[in-house]
Amino acid sequence: MDIAYPVGLVVVAASIVIGFTALVREKDDLHRILLTDLAEILALVLIALVATDLAEALILPGLVVGISELMAVSEVYIAKEGLRAPTGPLFRIEVMDSAPGILALILVAYGIVLSGFTGGAIAAVGAVFYFMCRGHTEQFELIETVSGYAWAFWIGAFFIFMFLPAYWFFGVMIAGGAILIKVMAKMSLVGTMRRGGPDV
Amino acid sequence: MMPEFVLGCIILIIGVIAAGFPRPMTYLGRLISLEIPAFGLLLIMLAYDEMLALLTFIGVTAISTFVLVRAIERKEAAE
Repeated sequence: MDIAYPVGLVVVAASIVIGFTALVREKDDLHRILLTDLAEILALVLIALVATDLAEALILPGLVVGISELMAVSEVYIAKEGLRAPTGPLFRIEVMDSAPGILALILVAYGIVLSGFTGGAIAAVGAVFYFMCRGHTEQFELIETVSGYAWAFWIGAFFIFMFLPAYWFFGVMIAGGAILIKVMAKMSLVGTMRRGGPDV
Repeated sequence: MMPEFVLGCIILIIGVIAAGFPRPMTYLGRLISLEIPAFGLLLIMLAYDEMLALLTFIGVTAISTFVLVRAIERKEAAE
């Protein structure tokens, strides 16, 4: 057997001890949320050490659960502390004025090439960055509708797998494209949290 | 053992110490230090050819940074 796995386990065990020591000694809540992110990374290392397709299949839902947990916890923190959006002028970062167009274009194009859940996440980063930098005036009902239809197409692709297995490639293409649109539409809503919306 | 695996383990340990006990104890400092163990994780994934997981992790990390920066921004504005 390869020596890498036990070595990796020892490294992760040491990291977990260090990380959780820091978490226990920490008193500030926001610092604790940041350390939760660190704990998530350590858990992912533990899964990645499995080093098969099973690891990839476990890491993807782990990432989804991690990001949604982080969003929920940070929302709860903001509500609990009664924090409001900063009233003064937002600080100016030059790259946020010059880069959004080209960077969003590159990320979305690359995401479409990747397709599937991964492509959706990459394209969503582009969309989030654009919304954060330029603000947004879109109608979110439209995005929600598109996302709903994409989900229906995704389910339809699974029916193709079940009833018409000869057309599996068609089904793969529909599923990949639909989940791309679905993930991108949902995650791009994150970009609207910073400014502009009526409820934030 | 592959060199990227060894490098990933070393960076992981260094990063956990850096993120666990950052020297100026600020929110942004700790957030930036969090990128170091993430890079170690990326190298370990690279050593095992887990491409999908690697790319998705990059994307999701970028989004989680947005979420955390939003909380930090409000916290620092309130102080």
